[in-house]
Amino acid sequence: MLNVEKIKKSYQIGKNTYEVLKGVSLVVEKGEFVGVMGPSGSGKTTLLNCISCYIPADSGSIRLGGKELAALDEEELASVRNRELGFVFQDFMLLDGLTVRDNIMLPRIISGKTNKDMEETADRLCDVFGISPIKNKYPAEISGGEKQRTAVARALINNPLLILADEPTGNLDSKSSRAVIDTFLQAKNSLEATTFMVTHDSFAASFCDRVILLRDGTVWREMVRKEKKRGAFQDELLNAVRDMGEVNGE
Amino acid sequence: MKNFSDVFTALRKKNRSQYLLLAGCCFFSVLLITAYVCMMRSPTVLKVLPEGGDSRKQVMMIFVLAVVGCGVFTTYASGLFFRYKSRETGIFLALGASRRKLRRQLIRELAVISFISCAAGAVLGAPLAWLLWRFFRLAVVDTQEMVLGFDSQAYLYSLAFSVFVIIMLFFMMVRFIRRTNIMDVVYETRKSEPIKEIPRWYGPVGIVLLFAGILLGYLTPTFCVMVLQWFAPEWLTAPAYLPAFIGLYMILLHTVVNGWRQGRNRYKHIISTSMMKFQGRQTVRNMLVITVLVAGAYFASFYTPMSGTGAMTGYAARPVDYAFRYRSDQTMLTEQEIRQMANEEGVAITSYITGFVAVLGIDGEEMVEREDAIGTTYTMEYRELRSESLIMSESTYNTLTGDSIQVSSGFVMAVYSDEGDVDYLASNDVTLITNPVTREVLHVVPCTQVLRYSMLLGCRVLDDDDYTNITRGLTQEWLEEQVFFNVENVGETYDFAKRLFHTIVDRSGSEVELTKHWDAILKLQYDAAGEPYFMDKEHLEEYGFQPVSYEQRDSSSFRLYWKYMPQFRILDQADHVKNFAVFLMLFIFIAIICFAAVIVIAYTRSLTIGLTNAQVYDDLRHLGASNSYLLATVRKQISRVYFVPITAGTAIIYALYMIIMFFNDGGSFTRSELAGLGNCLLVIAGMSVLLYGIYRITLRKVCGMLGIKAK
Repeated sequence: MLNVEKIKKSYQIGKNTYEVLKGVSLVVEKGEFVGVMGPSGSGKTTLLNCISCYIPADSGSIRLGGKELAALDEEELASVRNRELGFVFQDFMLLDGLTVRDNIMLPRIISGKTNKDMEETADRLCDVFGISPIKNKYPAEISGGEKQRTAVARALINNPLLILADEPTGNLDSKSSRAVIDTFLQAKNSLEATTFMVTHDSFAASFCDRVILLRDGTVWREMVRKEKKRGAFQDELLNAVRDMGEVNGE
Repeated sequence: MKNFSDVFTALRKKNRSQYLLLAGCCFFSVLLITAYVCMMRSPTVLKVLPEGGDSRKQVMMIFVLAVVGCGVFTTYASGLFFRYKSRETGIFLALGASRRKLRRQLIRELAVISFISCAAGAVLGAPLAWLLWRFFRLAVVDTQEMVLGFDSQAYLYSLAFSVFVIIMLFFMMVRFIRRTNIMDVVYETRKSEPIKEIPRWYGPVGIVLLFAGILLGYLTPTFCVMVLQWFAPEWLTAPAYLPAFIGLYMILLHTVVNGWRQGRNRYKHIISTSMMKFQGRQTVRNMLVITVLVAGAYFASFYTPMSGTGAMTGYAARPVDYAFRYRSDQTMLTEQEIRQMANEEGVAITSYITGFVAVLGIDGEEMVEREDAIGTTYTMEYRELRSESLIMSESTYNTLTGDSIQVSSGFVMAVYSDEGDVDYLASNDVTLITNPVTREVLHVVPCTQVLRYSMLLGCRVLDDDDYTNITRGLTQEWLEEQVFFNVENVGETYDFAKRLFHTIVDRSGSEVELTKHWDAILKLQYDAAGEPYFMDKEHLEEYGFQPVSYEQRDSSSFRLYWKYMPQFRILDQADHVKNFAVFLMLFIFIAIICFAAVIVIAYTRSLTIGLTNAQVYDDLRHLGASNSYLLATVRKQISRVYFVPITAGTAIIYALYMIIMFFNDGGSFTRSELAGLGNCLLVIAGMSVLLYGIYRITLRKVCGMLGIKAK
């Protein structure tokens, strides 16, 4: 599904060059719910932005569904973002002037596939994620958790290959965070969605099938949940994060 | 919601205020420029402002300023609009909209906004100019001469500015949409505009440079003319003002980045200073434009109090109520006829004096101009017969003035003004006086002491015998009679003054329908050489001057330029505003336009500060900042945007005016100049109250945006 190989990315700030990704490689299989954790500056968001085609990688390869992203032109990249990827941002990125339902339909409207099916799909997603009662409200009138569930529904409307989520629970309280995580699980279970989630939150990460730990722009460790209970997996993650800190001398 | 256009429509509805702000700014700038240019190119105004004259240059200079100001704030407003737009555009891009699609939608929106707002501004500009002019006419003076004419060429300027606005908007849009990094676009509103660290010496050095630049800029052209005898082109002398602009920029940078307070107070203002610092570049640029516009606005505003005070003080200081002179070959009103007319008008004449003066040739240095590779230079060349001068005997001078001077034989005394404010109109270097009829010459020595009597400014006085000898054989056209008389209650004699003036004009022949620069001696020389004299009325228009006409006796140009224009105190006082009305209205109009631009720029800049700092204010609130603390930080920033450039602009132009007043008559202030400067302070006080009101409104608006309670 997603195949990332040895990607490198550096930023130039003034006269200094900062190498943020130092050859990251990873694979995400169809239907997987993968988390990426790591301390600030480890390169999580940069990795996500490269996969999203928001910023170009300096070298390496990113293949999505067998398609090499670096080889695509701007129009094709836009099409990939629209049809094959779904996005969930930390601060929701909903358009204030559109209702919840319109926001969900936005990727379809952008692609020009506006038909009866679009409205039906949007309504179905509203039902799945429990936001039907608020579907005609505007973002300013709903809670943070509801906004994020709307964002997940929007990410799914084009039935994408992969959902990319950047700190989706970062701005939410624990109750709303749980509701959003449940939304991702529902997407995985009912819609067979594949999710790649960057997070700081070990609670959110503990629901993933697999968690990749990044440190200083490289993959430090990969942890697989398998049949473990969520709490046990969270403890394992916390220990790993502690180990990572000790390796860093913290 | 069916398609992408529907989405844009919904978003437009939601963000109506942003669209209105952009459209409003485009409309306002085109409206102002059109109105200004309609006024500037109006035949009514052009007739009054001589071609190549200082007034026309000032008007053009302020026009350029207004164009720059309007250009900057329109560009700025479009930048603001795209900043608002950036979030939704970033979301569209992130969700897979192509740039081509977004560009198409934006082009459609911008085309509608820019074409409608520019067209509305251009169409309504002329009516605005007409309405303002009409208002002035009703409030100030209303004569046939004041009817505002329109020149269709004005619309070319308006069109050019509209094209600039439209091109600029589309350029900004293309630049905006081209940005490749979506994340930058998404987080655009969180981006700040940092400026480099500024050393603290920028402040004091800036002040020194500012005032040095003003002085240098003002004195350089004078230095070129007086010392180098070179009329240096303006593009060469204007850069002398450059240090002033650099100084101003340094002052503003220092104010925004460092602030003027150090020590413990530094911490008190650390939030507001740091917020401004990170909006630095744009803020400083805007403040610079505001400063220059305020300077332009006050430059125009000061014209009225300075000219008005000077003139009114001059009229009040005249020792006689009624003075006029006429050539002896004219069949002018006799004393008896004037007394008769006074009786009919119920005016009591309390004194009546006359005296003969002669029009003789004098020697002196003449400026001979030459066109060189570096422009126009000149040399002073001595001529035995340089120009005409009014010459009188000591007895006549004593009779007319009530003085009792004695001029020794072989000497000449020059008459200067009472206050010394227009001494450049006289000179004291005559050594040879020529009778133009007999060609007799009289060698004289100028007395070091000069006489002071403004009513006879420019005349020269001889010993009685010398006068008799040199004027022997003069024909009537070379003699003039000077009439001085006083009346009771001069303030109530306007009708008499007007009737007398009209009768004097009626009695004057076409041979004296001359402008004040017409010189009988030069005319004689041109005639002798068989060349046409350029000041003759039939040639004046060829040289770009308006001839005076008896038909237009009540026009300002006739009153200003007729060679034999009487000086009637009540007439001059009452008609002063009318005579200067075109100047007055034009400069008031310029001031209104510049101040309007200042208000729009300061207002929009302040709103941006509110918008960009919204997140910081939320954070400060979370850190426990009280409403009064937050209010103080907002007030600090908004007041800086308003007061720093306004104060700087005001101080600069007031200093420049003081320098002009100080140097224009040899390094001193006259009473009328001081009174004029005092009146300018009153204008500043009045405008400051208005600007303070606008500042309060802005503060309340920004506080509203940030959820802060404004007291």
